[in-house]
Amino acid sequence: MRKVLLMFLAMTTLGLVSCNSNDDENGIVIEGITITDDVDCCTAEEALQVYKFIQTVHILPELSIEVDGLYNVWAYAKSDTFHTGYNEIYFVATKKVTGNYIKNFDIKNLTPLMHMVKMDMYHSAPASEGVESFNDNYLAVRRGWVSFVMPTSQAGDWVLSYEVEVLGSTAQVEPAAITVDALPEGQAWVKSFKIDGKPYYLSVVNPIDFQTGVNTIQAYVSVQGENRELPYGAADETFTIEIDPRMPDMGNHTSPDNVALTKQTSGVYQGTVNLTMTGLWRIHLTVRDSQGNVVAGGDDLDNGYSSLYWDVTI
Amino acid sequence: MIIETVLLSIILLPDTTTTESQQLDEVVVVSRELGAQRSVKGQVASIDEHLRELKSVNLVRRGSYAWEPVINNMQTERVSTSIDGMKIFYACTDKMDPVTSYVESSNLQSILLNSGLNGNPQATGNIGGSLDLKLRRAGFGSDRFRMGGDLGYESNGQQRVFGADAAVSTQGFYTNGGVSYRRADNYKEGGGREIQFSQFQKVNAYDNFGFRLAQHGSIEGTFIFDRATDVGYPALNMDVAKAEAFITSLAYRREWEDRALQSWETKVYYNHITHVMDDTHRPDVQIHMDMPGESWTAGLYSLLRAAWGRHFLTANYDLYDNRLFADMTMYPGGAAPMYMVTWPDVGTLNTGVALSDRISLSDARSLHLSGKWSWQHQRLNNQEGYNALSVFFPGMKRQYQQVTGRISASYQVSLAHSRYSVGAGWGSRAPTVTEAYGYYLNNTFDQYDYIGNPRLKNESAVELNGSYEWRTDGYALNLDASGFFFSDYIIGRFEPRLSAMTVAAEGVKVYANIDHATIANFSLTSAWDLFDWLKWSVRTGYSIGRDEEGEALPLIAPWVYGTVAEVQVGRFRGKAEWQGNARQHHYGSKYGESRSAGWAICNLQGSYSWSHVTLRAGVENLLDKRYTTYADWCDIPQKGRNIYINLSFEY
Repeated sequence: MRKVLLMFLAMTTLGLVSCNSNDDENGIVIEGITITDDVDCCTAEEALQVYKFIQTVHILPELSIEVDGLYNVWAYAKSDTFHTGYNEIYFVATKKVTGNYIKNFDIKNLTPLMHMVKMDMYHSAPASEGVESFNDNYLAVRRGWVSFVMPTSQAGDWVLSYEVEVLGSTAQVEPAAITVDALPEGQAWVKSFKIDGKPYYLSVVNPIDFQTGVNTIQAYVSVQGENRELPYGAADETFTIEIDPRMPDMGNHTSPDNVALTKQTSGVYQGTVNLTMTGLWRIHLTVRDSQGNVVAGGDDLDNGYSSLYWDVTI
Repeated sequence: MIIETVLLSIILLPDTTTTESQQLDEVVVVSRELGAQRSVKGQVASIDEHLRELKSVNLVRRGSYAWEPVINNMQTERVSTSIDGMKIFYACTDKMDPVTSYVESSNLQSILLNSGLNGNPQATGNIGGSLDLKLRRAGFGSDRFRMGGDLGYESNGQQRVFGADAAVSTQGFYTNGGVSYRRADNYKEGGGREIQFSQFQKVNAYDNFGFRLAQHGSIEGTFIFDRATDVGYPALNMDVAKAEAFITSLAYRREWEDRALQSWETKVYYNHITHVMDDTHRPDVQIHMDMPGESWTAGLYSLLRAAWGRHFLTANYDLYDNRLFADMTMYPGGAAPMYMVTWPDVGTLNTGVALSDRISLSDARSLHLSGKWSWQHQRLNNQEGYNALSVFFPGMKRQYQQVTGRISASYQVSLAHSRYSVGAGWGSRAPTVTEAYGYYLNNTFDQYDYIGNPRLKNESAVELNGSYEWRTDGYALNLDASGFFFSDYIIGRFEPRLSAMTVAAEGVKVYANIDHATIANFSLTSAWDLFDWLKWSVRTGYSIGRDEEGEALPLIAPWVYGTVAEVQVGRFRGKAEWQGNARQHHYGSKYGESRSAGWAICNLQGSYSWSHVTLRAGVENLLDKRYTTYADWCDIPQKGRNIYINLSFEY
């Protein structure tokens, strides 16, 4: 609907403002954005892509900021609230004058922090720290992620902060209170294990997008550093994460041809998970180090499957 | 060449179909008409009981309703079933609804069976044979008004049958229609134990009509509504809440006299089946499931008949478009429902041309040639179902095309006392939707989940057949034999790599082509006219089925035998029958079949006719024997002693 509206808008305004010098020769007009020759900013086509993407996500006002009175940085997520496990946060920077999207900017030190009320202690969570371009289509959208290890509750609250650098200007988003919801029954997207006493976290990426059929499965392996108040960064080791998806409600039915997750150059672990139907899938995990030794999971519980698993209900 | 017909109706009309049927295989009369090959229960009999009269037919039973016809020991996959030339496809992934279950005896004039590859013109994939259910039409210029009714009762299962029909006919218009209702409770096996979940209920309404447009042209139409509810399937884990069909057609027919071109009929048709399984009445259901299925078919055919010199020719063009969709939702207590598409909305567009020629070489010798070529395009319309199958067949396509064909020839010599024929044919069939795209379909016969295989090759077979008949005053001997030599025979193959879905299933089988297989059938009938009023016949048959390793195929009839004494005195007809199967020597243990024991039962039947009324009564399984045939799914026992009485009247 929005797309249709946009088209309509584009077509009608083409007729109305065809004398406007700002008007792109393709006739693309985006509400609230003036396209100029500014090299820092998107072309009309690029801006339209970004604009369309933004329509699919929810803005996070508490995490958006104005920089030096010149720029705005906006944060977005797939839903209004966060949830335990992997959450993606998208960032877009605009020039206040034109409203157009800035191609080059950076986000740093994306830091989740939980205050454990009873013990008056703080700890962070696995996070991407920095950001990367979302993909080739949305160069002006930066993506970061946080994997919350527990929900907001009476026991503790989460805050999130980050630093931003736009065209030479910098700003700090002060720790903003956010709400992290517990996942519903049948979903468990972040799990931990220990090697030599050091806690590691396995965060599966967007399992909500899984569908019946062949799925690419991605995950991050993060490790808690000396200072647990700093975000848990990517583990340096190279692991292999073997997966065994099972349906506990269906006599531990499984699917064939699943491919273990291996580390990609970007740092993400990637494999293939095949899901033969909807319902609760318990993805049992066996983590091996680069020598092939099992470092986590891979044990046989009473049911014969690893005690380390993600739960994904599709 | 074996061609059989079962006649079903009283009102047997000077319709073109009946004259032609003599040249075809077997016919069973479904109507109230006396004589000919027919069920002793008359029109009160179910379609399944009529089908049982055909000697090439066996029936796979999953309960007391909707039996699956098996022709020459081949099931639905290798059999074509049509209703007056209309294609119709069942909607249940578990084969609970063979299409013969969507009509009633009252709808039909006869059932025509063409054995083997010499199918009726609209048949495709008919390696084993083809059934055409001929609708009952009052026709133009028969009795101005007729009406009839049927009442039936069976003691075992308290089956009640009610039927009424009426016909109006003039030179320019006719219509005949009726309604019927059947209801049965659980039946009892021999010895008296009740078979739970064997009840059923069915209503049916139909109307046929015709308008004469000109001297030689007419329009004919059909409407059938059939709805079965509360149908139990004791051999399966589920019952059926509703199986409903809507069948309709409109045809234009033109006939000529004294011309080479005899008739030309063009028909358009549409049918829709809705099938809803139901496990809510079963105890001990581990996971409640909803399993609905739907089938839509629209099509047309155009059939030309001509007689030219020694040739009797038919040419037929047909086209149909079928859509099959089925899915399954499982509800584990409290947890998220599990959903899968079991037939991924497969659209099949099939079109073909069939030709046949019957050539009278001399008074005694004739040659019959027939052939059909078909092209088929299939498309998987459901994305989720396609994605799911892609797990098992990476890179599978969204659309497939197949070309199939059949050709057969039969040579017949008729002498004063004997007649013999020899025939040969070749034919192929495309995999069925279940075989190609079925998804985790649990088969309770061998306790495996089945997955279709979109990469299957067409199956083909060479058929050889022969028959010999010797007839003198008072004696007749018939010998029939047919052999089918398959290449790329399609059957489920155990895939140890895959994990079963159904709790308690043995594993997963994926349909595969095996290099070759053989099915052969022999039968012998000997009949004596002992007196004017007494006939006696004996019949025996034997079949074998072998896969490429020489192992027995499943669901192949063992040695069968039977003897019948028929009495006719005035308006009384009586029949005493003894029939049985030997112990199954060769059974498909490799395919999960268990050996069935031998059995024999005795039936007694009688009928008496007044001018407008016929009374029929009889006892089936007189000795109340507990028995199970090889074709009883999961060895569910047959009915014990059953006393029936029915009354048919026509006015």
